[in-house]
Amino acid sequence: MNEVEDAQLLERSRRGEESAFSELYRRHQAGIYRYAVHMCGAGAGDDVVQETFLAVLRQRGRTDAPRQTVAGYLFGIARHVVLQRLGSKYEPVTDSGDDHVSEVASGALTALDNLTRAETIAAVRAAVQSLPPVYREAVVLCDLQEMEYAAAAGVLQCPIGTVRSRLSRARALLVTKLSAAQSTAVARRR
Amino acid sequence: MKESEGRSPLDTALRAMAEDEAQLGASAGIEARLLAEIRSIAAARRRRIAIAVCAAAAVVLFALWIGSQGFPPARSSETRVAEVTTEFMPLVYSSVPSTNLQVVRLAVPRTALVSFGLTPPEPLERASADTVLADVLVGDDGLARAVRFVRPAADQEQMP
Repeated sequence: MNEVEDAQLLERSRRGEESAFSELYRRHQAGIYRYAVHMCGAGAGDDVVQETFLAVLRQRGRTDAPRQTVAGYLFGIARHVVLQRLGSKYEPVTDSGDDHVSEVASGALTALDNLTRAETIAAVRAAVQSLPPVYREAVVLCDLQEMEYAAAAGVLQCPIGTVRSRLSRARALLVTKLSAAQSTAVARRR
Repeated sequence: MKESEGRSPLDTALRAMAEDEAQLGASAGIEARLLAEIRSIAAARRRRIAIAVCAAAAVVLFALWIGSQGFPPARSSETRVAEVTTEFMPLVYSSVPSTNLQVVRLAVPRTALVSFGLTPPEPLERASADTVLADVLVGDDGLARAVRFVRPAADQEQMP
């Protein structure tokens, strides 16, 4: 996605140009929708997308460029909406240096060969959904949305090292949960 | 499920999940609602501009109409270096409360000055012969609260 074009679309959208707004919306709504669904559940996707883009429309007087990418800027607004919805469910964690633990845990999952694609997707989805929100959003942004660490740090308003740490911890938790899911599937087939 | 080359099983599984969700997106109605909001904001903006134009026109009419009250000319205590102003003279809506007053400078007919009991100075240039400057206090509701007249610095030497 062309960042220059995105910035122009944002500027024109703020001036009330319908065609520019439609294009900006089509480029980014799906990612924001999926982020919202992972964070707040399927029922929240439409609402979060609507509130995010309404916020853009209500900033019509603004002419300054976002400090980050347009995608990062939109995700930042969406995250604000999501955090309001989550309220106390979003508990900040102490990002201690547990990379060593994460690396050890990552080695525990050798393969998911015993699962079909559908089973794998269902198992991963359940595992992601069971993560604490603070770790879940790191996985959603970096692994599912394929956002760069720097961009994710901008959205999460934390240092890049914190993003790495949360992602590492999240992946360790996912490996643990998926290993258990694989064992259950194997036992069921015997 | 077989893992892709060079990827960990977890990466492969996450990628499969992302691909499975690639088609997910907001309902079609959301875009329609947002576009309706754009049109609504544009319409409100046009209304505000129309109100502002009407308010400016009303100020001139008020200034002419209120002349019979005969406010005396006075030198402003907050005179700027380059100009002399009268005190602010209340208009019809001066008693309506407003939290956000703004000063709008207009060129009004010289007859408006006369109608307030003020003596118009001799104009320096033919172009400004028919008008004088006025600062109008306008509230955020578009209603004019008060008016004062401004004598530019260049005119001052010619005043009695």
